[in-house]
Amino acid sequence: MEEKSGSLSDLRVLDFTGVLGPYAAKLYVGLGADVIHLEPITGDALRDCGPFYENIQGKERSLQFLYYNAGKRGMPLDLEKEKGREIFVDLCKKADVLIESFAPGYLEDLGLSFDFLSAVNPKLVQTAITPFGHSGPYCDYPASDLTCSALGGFLYLAGVENEKPVRVSDNQAYRMAEAYAAVGSATAVLFAKKTGIGQFVDISCMESVGMALENAPQYWDLEGTNRRGRGTVAGGGIIHPCKDGYIVLVTIMGRNKVMWEPFVKWMKDEGVDEWEIFDDDKWIDPAYRSSKEGYTTFCRIFERYSMKHEKAYLYDKGQSFRVAVTPLSNGKDLLENPQLKYHDFWKTIYHDALQGEVVYPGAPYEFGNLTWRLGNPAPAFGQHTVEILEECGYTKTKINALAKEGVVYVAES
Amino acid sequence: MLRNLRKALDGIVVCDFSWVGAGPITTNVLGQCGAEIIKIESKKRPDILRKGGPFKDGIGTGLERSGYFANRNPNKKCISLNMGHSDARDVAIRLIRKSDIIINNFRVGQMEKWNLGWEDVKEINPRIIYVTMSLQGTTGPHKSYMGYGINLNALCGLTARAGFPGKKPFGTGTNYTDHVMVPGHTLFGILAALLDREKTGKGQTVAVSQLESAICMKPSDVMSYAANKEILGPLGYGDPDAVPHGVYTTLGYRRWIAIAVFGNDEWRAFKKVMGNPAWADDKKFSTVEERKTNEAELNSLVEEWTRTQYADWLMEELLQNGVRAGVVNDGRGAIDDVHLRERGFWAYLDHPVVGSTLYNRAPICFSKTPLRMEKAAPVLGQDTRDVLTEKLDYSEGEVDQLVSDGVLV
Repeated sequence: MEEKSGSLSDLRVLDFTGVLGPYAAKLYVGLGADVIHLEPITGDALRDCGPFYENIQGKERSLQFLYYNAGKRGMPLDLEKEKGREIFVDLCKKADVLIESFAPGYLEDLGLSFDFLSAVNPKLVQTAITPFGHSGPYCDYPASDLTCSALGGFLYLAGVENEKPVRVSDNQAYRMAEAYAAVGSATAVLFAKKTGIGQFVDISCMESVGMALENAPQYWDLEGTNRRGRGTVAGGGIIHPCKDGYIVLVTIMGRNKVMWEPFVKWMKDEGVDEWEIFDDDKWIDPAYRSSKEGYTTFCRIFERYSMKHEKAYLYDKGQSFRVAVTPLSNGKDLLENPQLKYHDFWKTIYHDALQGEVVYPGAPYEFGNLTWRLGNPAPAFGQHTVEILEECGYTKTKINALAKEGVVYVAES
Repeated sequence: MLRNLRKALDGIVVCDFSWVGAGPITTNVLGQCGAEIIKIESKKRPDILRKGGPFKDGIGTGLERSGYFANRNPNKKCISLNMGHSDARDVAIRLIRKSDIIINNFRVGQMEKWNLGWEDVKEINPRIIYVTMSLQGTTGPHKSYMGYGINLNALCGLTARAGFPGKKPFGTGTNYTDHVMVPGHTLFGILAALLDREKTGKGQTVAVSQLESAICMKPSDVMSYAANKEILGPLGYGDPDAVPHGVYTTLGYRRWIAIAVFGNDEWRAFKKVMGNPAWADDKKFSTVEERKTNEAELNSLVEEWTRTQYADWLMEELLQNGVRAGVVNDGRGAIDDVHLRERGFWAYLDHPVVGSTLYNRAPICFSKTPLRMEKAAPVLGQDTRDVLTEKLDYSEGEVDQLVSDGVLV
């Protein structure tokens, strides 16, 4: 095995994001980049979002803040003060990427437009993550994760027929934008390394959501129909109840009989009542599977079996027959998942400040040369202010003065 | 060429063995950024999404009418290469020599069967980035388990929380993990490897686990269970930090408006748009905590107000007053949306079989290297001859021979 030595440690990323934006820079942290998380002098609003460690609210206890900002260094900075802006410009001089999620126009109004920052550092890539992007008729409107999901056409898909749609967890409209912000920034950095030319990268949550519409716009464009989620097709990705929760099952696609046969064998080997009904070519016909008779027959036979077993049993058993069945995992299931345990996926860190351990998701990928890391615990409010300013050439006296004026905040050490 | 017409990934060549979902979405974005994507298919083993609906005019015959396939594959070249033929490997090797990235999302072991695993490929081209996208990694007790996007949604924990409390969960209604979570991490991994190559001159493997990359974008359930022994339940359309927060019926067929009210200032603004009805000043709605306690009643009162109104007009009024709101657009609504149109999110591209049809660009707007949306999805094998003669140094005669031998089919 070759020694891994790769790291993006030569990249400096400034992350001035809050509830919207932090996962983009976390991806850089994971591969070794030096990421500075700047936050308003009043504190990052994500610090106030639950769930909290031991369910006790506190600025250093938000599990989301701890996760998304792990491995970053932190400094509260007041951009509305002249001296705060000077520090910000100093930091931009030495940065490869600035990722921010301010409302469009906010930085421009402070005299910190991309044109200005670009004159200071021509290689700088500035990536802006906003609900609607920096242009277009909605760009100044207020928004939330839910409204972005709704407008972009994503939310509508999460339901069938006349039912209201449901929402996925963890602010996915924001997460999608952050993923594409990381990708757009890295593409622009690669270009800047080759050409010396930085640029502005505009990422919109509403558009990012538009990447996740599967084929819904094409259904309208090509066939004149508006699709929603798929609801009542036997064996077509339907959720079925079991003894301790739910499982989801895909037993056939199109007319692929080769996919259907292992399912029949599974039912037969388990001695499921009426399994013989599944051993019939009518199930290969998509029209039958979508019919009321097909769907209700399938559910009647399969669920009589599934209700006798736990999701972990059905997962292993079905997979042993090469059937695409998976459990609907919850937090406990995931923490105990044997595959994730085998990969040592969950990372546990002891936090002195919390006097306890916090469990984090680990690496999304593995490289031949680059090494993934979780990094240190997320910065306490003002934890790295002194260190960061000293790197910019500020003296202790000057830093104390800046803290007194409220330009920065310095944590008591 | 003018600077502002350059493409960010000019000169990057991708040898693309990927098919169906997350793989083609990944190379779609690389292609829009200017990379040259050479998609490898065969009539004997076409990308199965070519047989997935919707189809132009609802006619599903042939391999060229699927909009599902098309929207993931614009701006790509396509060569027919029958990897089942023993002479196909030589063509693949010549392409690998010219490539910066090789990507597949086959089941683990397929590339090795063709002697095109990493150990072989790095000998052919040590600068190449070798990308794999296994469902759950290549080791461990579940390494061979199978599943589609909808299975992965469930396994990673997304589905369990996407439902109304007390009812059967629903999920996103799509193969969501395939669309953003997996391609997003794969793309970032590829770019990180390209940045590393700038320093080392060497390629490397990028092995994405679809399950693990999905979990990284939804940390709350496990972190909360580990810290608090608490299982987070389904959200419905609610949000722990906002109230009222939900999807409300308006006039029209399947027309709803999403409204999200955070804090007391926004509540006051919302009340004003509602015309300050007397019920809204009831003590039971006076604070965030009170409103949370009485959320079901509040939602039904809000809906009494929305159900007699047009969603788009109501949205406009709420937004003008500083309340976060958005109509729940269906596919048609998203296509017709004035904002997406004005930002050039949609593109209509001409295709020799189906004519002009709808695509979307990636959600990345570069100020100096704009994305390209130039060519419709490829007809299977349309670029075989050009790629082999112009890029891989085959003569016309050699190509004819490979066609008649059944290699280029």
